[in-house]
Amino acid sequence: MVPYLLIAPVVIYYSIFWLFPVLNAIIESFRNVDGIWTVSNYIHIFKDPVFYQALSNTAFIVIFSVTIEFILAFGLALLINTKFRGSSMFLFLAMIPMSLPAVAVGAMWSSGLATRGWLNSFLMTFGFIDDASKILFLAGGKMSTMLLIIIIDAWTVIPFVMIILLAGLQGIGEDVREAGAIFGGTKFQILRKITIPMLKPTITTAMILRIISAIQIWLIIVLLYGFNRLPVLLEQVVLNYDQLGAEYFERIGLALSVLVAIIVSAAAVLYLKVSGSFEKEVKQDE
Amino acid sequence: MATLELIDIAKRFTKKVWGVKKMDLKVEDKEFIVLLGPSGCGKTTTMRMVAGLEEVTRGTILLDGKDITDIPPRDRGISMVFQNYAIWPHMTVYENIAFSLKLKKMSAAEIKERVEETAAMVKIGELLKRLPGQLSGGQQQRVALARALAVRPKLFLMDEPLSNLDAKLRVTMRTELKAIHQQTNATSIFVTHDQSEAMSMADRIVIMKDGEIVQIGTPDDVYFRSANMFVAGFIGTPPSNFFNVECEYTKENISLKHSHFTLEIDSMKFQELGKYRGKEIVLGVRPEDLLIVPESKAVFTAEVLVVEPQGSHQVVAINLKEIIVKMVVSAETKVKPGDKIGLGFNIKRIHFFDSKTENRIVFKGGV
Ligand SMILES: Nc1ncnc2c1ncn2[C@@H]1O[C@H](COP(=O)(O)OP(=O)(O)O)[C@@H](O)[C@H]1O
Ligand SMILES: [Mg+2]
Repeated sequence: MVPYLLIAPVVIYYSIFWLFPVLNAIIESFRNVDGIWTVSNYIHIFKDPVFYQALSNTAFIVIFSVTIEFILAFGLALLINTKFRGSSMFLFLAMIPMSLPAVAVGAMWSSGLATRGWLNSFLMTFGFIDDASKILFLAGGKMSTMLLIIIIDAWTVIPFVMIILLAGLQGIGEDVREAGAIFGGTKFQILRKITIPMLKPTITTAMILRIISAIQIWLIIVLLYGFNRLPVLLEQVVLNYDQLGAEYFERIGLALSVLVAIIVSAAAVLYLKVSGSFEKEVKQDE
Repeated sequence: MATLELIDIAKRFTKKVWGVKKMDLKVEDKEFIVLLGPSGCGKTTTMRMVAGLEEVTRGTILLDGKDITDIPPRDRGISMVFQNYAIWPHMTVYENIAFSLKLKKMSAAEIKERVEETAAMVKIGELLKRLPGQLSGGQQQRVALARALAVRPKLFLMDEPLSNLDAKLRVTMRTELKAIHQQTNATSIFVTHDQSEAMSMADRIVIMKDGEIVQIGTPDDVYFRSANMFVAGFIGTPPSNFFNVECEYTKENISLKHSHFTLEIDSMKFQELGKYRGKEIVLGVRPEDLLIVPESKAVFTAEVLVVEPQGSHQVVAINLKEIIVKMVVSAETKVKPGDKIGLGFNIKRIHFFDSKTENRIVFKGGV
């Protein structure tokens, strides 16, 4: 009896502030404006070509940004973990992007990337370009708009991923790596056969957190490009629920958010499965 | 099989902190050397420099005459057992032992044979499929040992390998390690802060203090001919007793005056004490060289403070106001706290130390 009493506050809290709104959203997504049960909201979404664009854009951003972020963050974490002179100062500097809220990041980059923004001024000051050859960062095609988002997102979240990986690295004792060096391993072999396998739980945590939040990217895109220029899933949720101003679209927004929730969970489960089965493969080949 | 030479090596960590101040040592082929000293004296730092895990600040390391000072650990032909094992938790026991062999590109069949042979030598043949997390501390220790032996190293380093084991297992492992050494004949350096471990295992003991060598010698050397008061007070359970005595000459004898006793010794046998005439010196006496004698023959009498039975012998502590003196007596001796006993010295085995330098005063005629 006592354990149940102890967890009761948490259960009550979650029911009121989380479970109830979630259930409500799910229920409302299956009703139309007149309160009649229907799947028309979902049908609307599945018939809308923008949804498929949003889906593929999101997938593209997730795959590339998470990969790039992981590689760079892991590199940085390994570097800082060597405790070279000035590494703590470097760590401090590397964490600055993390301390900025997304809105500030968006404002900073959109003012920087504008045709008359600070990035072009900077390049001109140093003579890399002249007035006639200013780079139109924000005017590019779909690929370059997406690349820009990936770069900015990476800039913001690399510190976050790096901190998690660094904490994991510091949890692995120096001595297991030193043993690797004594028993014949090169730096790369030690990394591949000792450090990475031992860091796997941390890597999994970092990857799942990053995949989830990469699927939910939207604010930075809206701040740079406005709505509907580079559709992504959550941006469409916000657009429908909040911006279009009709109850019909609000319900579409709810249905979309239910779909996003399903996609996020599926991605997380898929990642766990894939990384788990990968482990088994390694074991068999030993 | 190899010889190792450390020539004037030193390690400075920061401006003020020296891990090792100066170290000169030659380890012979097949020798089992023990580095012994109190915590913080630089034993681990020395090992790490030999292994290549720590750069030297000064000096040269020669293995088989070849300068290895600047080559990476993996190319040195050295293996090591770490104090907290440092076995890899994500690999099975088999994989742990096979790691270095795989990197050497040995064939699978050779690796299997070598792993099984080594595992059998340290008695973990049945555990090869387990992960380290499923093993006891003692078994993990054996895995670390097998991993280090499997490479057939030129030089085998062990940094306090037994200090995490319980007392009983520690004593068993001493014997096993020594037997393994006799079997493999690998030149070995073993680090410990436990003097009885050092005495029981070493061909030669290197005693260190504050980053420097204080004495190098066989267990008998360091016990019976301790180079200074630090060694005499560090080696032995219990260690040496020290008495500050005044060195005075009578006609044919030297009389050593202590606040509790006066000991007369033959001035012919102890000629070298001449230069200490009228000065204070330190008399060092091993606990077993203090003897219980009838009061008529006693140099002095004292009251027993405590008696510690050890089974094979007893340790008797005597209170001499400013110091507690410990002596070892046979198990049959009947003494109890409060007893007044007569005490004498085994003159053949007493030592003298210069009270300023604390170094041993050496006599030509032996002793
Ligand atoms: N990485 C390090 N940085 C600074 N000082 C160190 C480092 N490693 C050891 N020391 C210092 O060097 C001295 C010798 O240490 P160590 O070799 O570990 O001693 P031992 O193994 O004999 O206990 C100690 O004073 C210790 O504090
Ligand atoms: Mg140590």
